[in-house]
Amino acid sequence: MSLQVDQVTKRYGPTLALDGLSFDVRPGEVFGFLGANGAGKTTTMRICLGIVRADDGEIRWAGTPVGGLPRRTWGYLPEERGLYPRLGVLDQLVYFASLYGEKPAEARRAALGWLERFQIPDYANRRAEELSKGNQQKVQFIAAILHRPEVLLMDEPFTGLDPINLVILREAFTELRDQGRTLVFSTHQMEAAEALCESVAIIDRGRLVAGGRLRDLKRASGRRWIRIALEGIQPAPDWLGRVAGVERVHPDAAGAELELLADADPAAILNAVLANGATISQFEVIEPSLEALFIELVGRPADTDRVWTGAAPVVPVGGVG
Amino acid sequence: MTPRDPLLPNAGIIARREYRDRVRSPLYVVSTIVLMGLALLVALAPIGIRYLDRGTVTRIAVVSGDPGLAQRAVAVADSILNSPPPGVDPATFEKPYRLEVTSTDAGQAGLLKGELSAILLVQRLETGQVDVTLRTAESAASARNQLLAVAAFGIGVLDWSSRLPPGTDAPPFVTPAFRVDSLVSATDGGRPLGVQEAASRGFLGVVFVVLLFMSVIIYGMWVATGVAAEKSSRVMELMISAASPRQLLTGKVLGIGAAGLTQYLAIAVPALAVLAFQDRIAEAVLGPGWSEGAPIVGLTPPLLAGYGVFFLLGFGLFALIYAAMGSFVSRPDDLQTLSLPLSLVAIAGYLTAIVALSGGGGTWIRAASLVPPFSPFVMLARIMVTAVQPWELAVSIGLLLAAVAVVSVVAARMYAAGVLLYGQRPGIRAFVAAARRAG
Repeated sequence: MSLQVDQVTKRYGPTLALDGLSFDVRPGEVFGFLGANGAGKTTTMRICLGIVRADDGEIRWAGTPVGGLPRRTWGYLPEERGLYPRLGVLDQLVYFASLYGEKPAEARRAALGWLERFQIPDYANRRAEELSKGNQQKVQFIAAILHRPEVLLMDEPFTGLDPINLVILREAFTELRDQGRTLVFSTHQMEAAEALCESVAIIDRGRLVAGGRLRDLKRASGRRWIRIALEGIQPAPDWLGRVAGVERVHPDAAGAELELLADADPAAILNAVLANGATISQFEVIEPSLEALFIELVGRPADTDRVWTGAAPVVPVGGVG
Repeated sequence: MTPRDPLLPNAGIIARREYRDRVRSPLYVVSTIVLMGLALLVALAPIGIRYLDRGTVTRIAVVSGDPGLAQRAVAVADSILNSPPPGVDPATFEKPYRLEVTSTDAGQAGLLKGELSAILLVQRLETGQVDVTLRTAESAASARNQLLAVAAFGIGVLDWSSRLPPGTDAPPFVTPAFRVDSLVSATDGGRPLGVQEAASRGFLGVVFVVLLFMSVIIYGMWVATGVAAEKSSRVMELMISAASPRQLLTGKVLGIGAAGLTQYLAIAVPALAVLAFQDRIAEAVLGPGWSEGAPIVGLTPPLLAGYGVFFLLGFGLFALIYAAMGSFVSRPDDLQTLSLPLSLVAIAGYLTAIVALSGGGGTWIRAASLVPPFSPFVMLARIMVTAVQPWELAVSIGLLLAAVAVVSVVAARMYAAGVLLYGQRPGIRAFVAAARRAG
């Protein structure tokens, strides 16, 4: 029982949006669907929902093609946020749940519970247009889950949320996953994906670049990084980049991350740093970040459409907003 | 529509929300009250006109080759037509009819110009029998003409008695002949219509065609605006995943159509009630003798049913297309441009129907009454004022039903494609291309 995207191709006129895309999402996991703008994430979700038809290939949930599944299988949080501006929050939550077959009384009770949980119970009878964008986004998230879908598809769910609401939403993700729901979300915010996802699919121009468990992908990259902080030296000195075995330096507020060449020996680098007379307060061999992995695989960061040249300045790890 | 998406209950849920959303809006309530007031004013207008025209006298010409006979005809008809109603003082009663002797040519010219209401041709045949012909726009069944039939008998008696020779060899009295030469051509299943009935049919035909036209344009635009507003507020992204395009389209058309129908009934029912009781209202306001028959006397249950069928199917056909169009604009403001061709089609149907109501009946009108999207307007007009063959009615309704079915499928497909298009200029090419992509 998994979500299987199997050789899906979709073309919009001359544009090839999806090019034989395939990946699997295990049930009950949080899955990150990663790619730059225009990579094909939204199209894939729309095909899952039956809004758009694939030209070729198939998407199945628990072995059943998505076209044969009831709509309530899915919960959907679209990238474009929108509610009925003049309709009360509770009324529209009940309305959406009713369309998925929920009884109004039960939907009302559940909606009030989620509004309480999201710290906006006082907004139940307010018009949606009176809410801030962040709160509207929370209402829309509730609308997507109120009918208790098996699979929750979310397109860029973290965009526009402040840090407090971000934490609330992440906690909700964890709770839903613990209830056995499958969560698939697209994002170009690698930090969020790294924090939440057990598995990811990285796509570029409609094709799968890499997919699987995040841990396995990092190991498979063969790249090692070193997290280093030098006592009393800030920012990271230029000579770090000239140490044998270091390919690139990613400075940050606390020190730097060193991207190593494939055959580099961390112990030799440690000796080289000490030989320069520096006092080391932190030295740790780490796995590459998801951001770094994405850049390595796709050739550019997820939040830009420009071609990544690999030249400095380097984007700090987790610095992509 | 896939098997997982039956029309109900979602179309019903959507229709209910659309209906509530509309009828609870302050704009809806205010516009309904204002329009209801205007409709009542229009319905009461004939009484006001009658009040203003209460000094108007209806002229009837008497034509005869025998001046004496002409004078006798005037005297008898005058005494019968201008008899004061019970309870009215004859001294103050203003005669509603004036009878005047004139020549055949002058009478005919006056009748054609509308200066005269009728010509009473009176002649004495060689047998001595008086022959009376009433040339008028009214049919023999009208109340006035029945009074003139009585008058014809009186004229015959008076003429016979005035020509009695002295002695006892009096010629036998021969009952006068009386016939009506009616200029009315309207029929109901071959039965000639009375002038009041014909006028009522013409009046109601105009009212019905205008109401249908306004409903198509106004409520059709409501549907288009509703779709465009959902799209511009981006709530469509949620809706399209919760319900199928067919459910959304049907619910929206039904909900907004029902809201329109509610407003429509709120406006029409009081106005029709005033029209139905116009006679009594006129009598109460203006006094006895001012009742002329209710203007909806020509409204029969089959006509009302016909109007209902063409109204619902016509509105459904146009509303579906309006909904598809609404899905292709990113802002409601763009609707005016995109909906113009459809409005022109509705105007063409409306104008053709007006021609049909005024008596036109060429091949074009006959064809337009059969073929959608003109048939709701034109056939409605035809059944109001002329005889329509049953097969024509069947073909017209059948083609309209088929058109609604086809358009609902195509519109759902266009809607599915259109609601996801953003930032594109609306146009026919984008419309067709998106429909293909949705397929």
